[in-house]
Parts: sequence; C-alpha cells; structure tokens
Amino acid sequence: MQLVIASGKGGVGKSTVTASLLYLLKDEYRFVAVDADADAPNLDLLLGVEHWEEERELVGAKVARINTESCIRCGICQERCPYDCIKVIDGDYVVSELTCEGCNVCGLVCPVPGTITLEEVRSGVVRKTTTRYGFPLISAQLDVGRPNSGKLVTEEKEWAKKLMGELGLKHMVVDSAAGIGCQVIASIGGADLTILVAEPTPASLSDVQRAYKVVQHFRQPAYLIINKADFNPGFMALREWAEAEGIPILGEIPYDRAIPRSMSMLKPFVEAFPDSKAADAMREIAERVREEILR
Amino acid sequence: MQIAVSGGKGGTGKSTIAINLAIALREHYDLVLADLDVEAPNDHLLLGVELANEEPVELFMPRFDYQKCTRCRKCAEVCEEHAIITMRDGTPFLMPNLCSGCAACEIVCPVPGAILPGKKLMGHTYLTETPYGFPLVTGRLLEGEERAMPIVSRAKKRAQGLEKELLMVDTAAGTSNTVSKALEDSRLIIAVTEPTPLGIHDGELILKLAKLMEVPAMVVVNRSDLGDVAKVREIAEKYGAEVIAEIPYSENIIRSYVEGKPIVLTDYPEAGLFREIASRVVEFLGGGE
Repeated sequence: MQLVIASGKGGVGKSTVTASLLYLLKDEYRFVAVDADADAPNLDLLLGVEHWEEERELVGAKVARINTESCIRCGICQERCPYDCIKVIDGDYVVSELTCEGCNVCGLVCPVPGTITLEEVRSGVVRKTTTRYGFPLISAQLDVGRPNSGKLVTEEKEWAKKLMGELGLKHMVVDSAAGIGCQVIASIGGADLTILVAEPTPASLSDVQRAYKVVQHFRQPAYLIINKADFNPGFMALREWAEAEGIPILGEIPYDRAIPRSMSMLKPFVEAFPDSKAADAMREIAERVREEILR
Repeated sequence: MQIAVSGGKGGTGKSTIAINLAIALREHYDLVLADLDVEAPNDHLLLGVELANEEPVELFMPRFDYQKCTRCRKCAEVCEEHAIITMRDGTPFLMPNLCSGCAACEIVCPVPGAILPGKKLMGHTYLTETPYGFPLVTGRLLEGEERAMPIVSRAKKRAQGLEKELLMVDTAAGTSNTVSKALEDSRLIIAVTEPTPLGIHDGELILKLAKLMEVPAMVVVNRSDLGDVAKVREIAEKYGAEVIAEIPYSENIIRSYVEGKPIVLTDYPEAGLFREIASRVVEFLGGGE
C-alpha cells in the first residue's frame, strides 16, 4: 500500500508527524519511507540520518544557453520567452539559469541556427539510506534554482518500488512536499490514500482544502490529522470542514514544547519524549492507522 | 525598487513577517505587497481581506485542426514535456496536464493554422485593497495544475504594473526556480529562518540562492528561543548576511494572529521588533545613513 502525507503547506508538522508515525509502526510493518519534498527535504534530519548509502545524480533539468558569438541581437528570444527569463546584460542576451524552465521556445524562434542550445544540467540528487530504525529512506535534494519537478518524485518512487521488490516490503510512505504543485501531484498520483495534516488556523485550512482538491482529483480516500489542535480554541472551521466532506479525523495532537525540542535533538518526538501529551496523541493516531488503514 | 521576504522552510513565519513588515514600511514608502507563494497564498488571510479583482492566468494550449495536420510529428518531437503523443499514423494528441503552454509546437508546425491557439486556465491573480494603506497582489495556482511559474510571473508583473515606490515580495518556501523568479530584481532579501537544525539546513539554501543571484540578504530568526541562534549567525556569516532580528516564540504573536490583528499594530512588546526590522530595511535601502 502506498500512503501519502500531505498538508498543502509547510510548517504544519507534516514531517514531524510522519517521522513519529514511522517510528511507531516500524516494528510491525515493513515499509520504505520516501521524502518527496526535494526542495526542502527534512525527514532525514528528523530520523537522524548521517550518511547516504547510495546517491544518484539527476541530470533531468534543461536550460537554454545563448552563444554570444553568433547571436545577432535581434531580441526575438527575449520577446517570446514565456517566463521572462532572458535579460540583456552589457548588450548580450543572457538566459537566467535560475529561472529558465527549459521549454526551448527561444531556441525555436532564434533565426540563427545553433545559437541557442538546450543543455542538460544537474537538477539534484536522489539518495538512499537505511535509517537507524531499520527501514530504508529514499530522499532527494533539488539543486538551488532548478525547476521543481514531479519527475524527481517519480524517480524517487521508482527507486522505492524497486526496494520494495528486493526487500519484500509491503508499504510505501511518502512525505509529500508543501503546496499543490507538480511534486505534490506526483506524490499523490498513484497512491492509495492520503493523510492530510493541518492546524486549526484559517491559513492552514485554506491550504489543506487545496491539497484535498488534488486528492479528490485522483479519487483517493483522505484522512485528517489535526496538529497543534489546542492552539486556536474556538476555531471550529477545520473540524467542520472535515465533517462536511466526510474526511475521518485520525486524531488531534496538542501543541507541545516537546515537539520543537525533539526536532532540535533530531529524533521523532515519540522517541525523544514518550511521556509527552503529544506522544500520547500520536500513539492513538498510530493505533487508528493500524486498525483503519493498514488492515 | 523591490525587496523580498523568503525562507527555506515552510512555516517559519515568512508571511507573518512579510505582512507586519509591509505595515511598518508603509510609513516610509508607497508600497505594494505581492504574495507569490502561489501554491499556498495566505497573506490575504493574515491581513483579513477577501481576494478581489480576479484576473485569470491563461496559457496557450495547442488545439489541432486535423483537417490541416499533415501528421509530420514535428510538434510531438519538439515538445520538451512530452505532452503531445502521436498515434501510429502520426495523428497528434495533447495530454493537457503535461502541457507547459510554451507554444513550441505551434512555432515548429509547418502548416499554418494546423495548430490553433487554445487556452488553458492555470490560476488567477488578484489585486486587493487592504485596510493598512497598501494593496496586495496575490497569485493563486488552480488546484490540480502543476506549473507555478506562469502564475508567479504574472502576479509579479501585475504588482510591478502598479509602479509603487516599493514592491515587497513574499515568496514560496524552498529554493526552486519559482522562488528565483520571485526574488529576481530584488535589492534585498530578508531570509526568515528558525534556529532548529531543520530551519538552519533550509535557511542555508536560501542564503546560497541569494548569493548566486548576487542579492544582499539579511536574516530574521523567528522562534529564536527554540534553538541555537549562534549556529544561524555562523551560517549567515558564511554567506555575508547579517542577523538583524531575533523574534522569540510568542503567545502574543499567535494571539494577534488568531484575533486577526497584525502584531505590529498592537501594544505587545513584539511590535517593536518588527518596527526595528523595518528601520533596518529603510536604512539599507536609503544607502545606509
């Protein structure tokens, strides 16, 4: 089974919840964890990963380059670039490597053959390790300024699938990126269900509603975990929304200083502070995941 | 002139800092705030306004006139996104979700009129008046659409079009090319980070991006009592950035957020911190008098 943890936005505790859930399930279930947030991968940090057993470079990204020798400075490339990535610097037309999407429109409209070429560049790395808890983790790190590609996530999931075959693993748990863009779509697409994490604030509600639309797009069941549940008493809209949509609430985790403290210790909070009230709530959630999802 | 508020990790408080800084800077500049976190735009919620003046962001999407199409497959060959597939006889079909709207297919098509300009709705931009004396431009990607870049690009243009003295940009988390697009043309980047190992890890990436883009950066440490600020200073120094403020974890900030009143306008002591950040920014933009 492939399950995804998503939130629509960063900072609501998605990776924190994921790390603790993995920790609580590790003895009973055989799974591979995938950190699909290549832009800001954090699951490895929360699981105390210190080294990678294997790394693969990804050269998927493409950027356009303009040869200033043959360029006749007609400006058509700049005019046609859909994303305004071509600037004139000291009289030369230059493609901004940090914003180019690699669509090659400039190359196609350029009247001088061979002046604009599309070059493959490194977009990041995909890597694998075995965590100290015994289960493998696949993670990726996008290079600074590269297009945030769903292909990277697909690559990670392919590797994870291969590991499942080799190691006889039953489940894949994907910690999705923030937002609703291509990485999130690649994370949710092909999964069996999504667990949404949100906090009771208008911003988080708005973000999770958007993530839920992506889940619906793939016709998947969704569940909700409410983090920092007591942080905004009186804000009922999140719970009301879940109820109206028929999204089961797996549990509510109270705001607890044990969580940020455990993050500084680079440990899942259920391991670092097993007696905290947040850990109690998390164990209840893991119990429901066992009963309702993994059965 | 443009400045940006950015930060590696989501949830570090970028938007909170952006809106409070915008309110504080309003005393010094005629400004516009642009929320370019198009996958999860929240500035309007923090400012307590309803998005207004919606404009669609539509992208080119090819429509094939099969009467005219010669089945030459050039459109499919040129498509970097592999959004056009061809049948055995060369008949092209579009997979709209993969299409980036770049129009490369139309450019290479040898038959005039065989590829017609269809349109695909990617999201919207908004221009909302706020009660704080500055307008807010918001970009919002449609759910189910993958490409944030066109929305970022269009929302930014809309904000630039207002020709205010200061354009303040609030970016998405991370360091992908849509963040670079938002940061482009900035005179200064305010990098928001937390002093936790995760925050420091991601914060370093945004400083790296600032350096690559040759934009000076200043660091604001949010929830500064949750970790080791000395480590943030170390990283900041490595990239030639200065830590200009430390904002401790504060119930007051949460309270003001819940009450929908920006903290900088309250009597809480934290308000002073934001005014101080604003004066550092003014000092910097004014040439450091």
